Amino acid sequence: MAENYDDSETAKDAELIEQIAARLRVPEHIHPSFEKRLMEKVRAEAGIHFPASGSPERSWWHAERVFRVSPLSALALAAGISLIIGVSGVAIGSRISSHSPTATGVASTAGRDTVQVVRFVFVDPRATSVELVGDFNEWSRGKTELGRSGAPGVWAVSVPLSPGRHEYAFIINGSRWVADPLAVKSSDDFGTESSVIRVGTPANSAT
Amino acid sequence: MKGSSDAELVAAVLAGDVEAFSGLVRRHEDACVRFAVRMLGSRVDADDALQSAFMRAFRGLRSCREPDRFGGWLYQIVINECRTFASRQRRRDLRFTPATNAIERAVAPGSEPEEDTDVGGHIESALGMLPAEQREAFLLKHVEELSYDEMAELTGISVSALKMRVKRACDELRDLLKGVYNG
Repeated sequence: MAENYDDSETAKDAELIEQIAARLRVPEHIHPSFEKRLMEKVRAEAGIHFPASGSPERSWWHAERVFRVSPLSALALAAGISLIIGVSGVAIGSRISSHSPTATGVASTAGRDTVQVVRFVFVDPRATSVELVGDFNEWSRGKTELGRSGAPGVWAVSVPLSPGRHEYAFIINGSRWVADPLAVKSSDDFGTESSVIRVGTPANSAT
Repeated sequence: MKGSSDAELVAAVLAGDVEAFSGLVRRHEDACVRFAVRMLGSRVDADDALQSAFMRAFRGLRSCREPDRFGGWLYQIVINECRTFASRQRRRDLRFTPATNAIERAVAPGSEPEEDTDVGGHIESALGMLPAEQREAFLLKHVEELSYDEMAELTGISVSALKMRVKRACDELRDLLKGVYNG
């Protein structure tokens, strides 16, 4: 039996938890072909990783474009949004909404320390709310909301991000999922399109 | 090969005998499968996560500094991979109705109906409703029966934070399942 999770809990509560845990300790099985499929991949990569040293950890999915923006160029980039809207609005609008909002987003980074502040900007004059979801907030709703930012239809929020690759998307009016039209796209196994930003990696230059 | 230690199997793979990796997989697969299925609530997702985790282990085998403790090292990779997949699930669930699990359970090979499917189903549902970090802590503590020190070593999270997560998970599960057990 697992040890008590808290001394203050009653024996009855502990018994209930143990009953639950006992159920979950039953062995599980996945598809019988698991090992065969795995070993096929292992054999396919054997020559790459063994005996060669310094195996190439980076694979095809790392090949996304990367943009890195200095504080000054972030301002310049932000100023250039309206120009970009004109280009991206039609295609994006027709895909996102029947009433063609000019929706666009841009993320820029500032700061050189371990954690950098990234400003996410989204433009959609018809939006009544804009949320940001990403791996940095566990894709949770309600954690990172963009606020109205000066010009009509401009929404923005600044988020501290650790260096590295992050995926994110915007949720408009509480229901519409929108990948950042200006960023590199990433599609997961389930076909959900998100956007990619790399933070604080000097080797990666803006594209 | 069956009598070989983990360290011997790791050494064999590093020397170019990649078939020895299947020995390591078989030896540690069961615990990893149980954790991944419980953590992700889906055999399909667990399969994907474990394929990815085991391949990461294979690719990074040279960085396993204590080959005699390969199991713990692999488990660490599995935990991390499940976190990534749990995060992806959140993203998917934001967009789609989460009815896939029920379908998966219905068609999963080797899945046999239990006598009291309802209780098992309620437990799985309740577990799935916990935040991923609480679910992970609960599973490691009460299902895998690890000590808090072992959990801290595997997850990189402090013992006090882990205790808090387990406590909250237990409180939540009790609330969610009280009716099921008390009738």
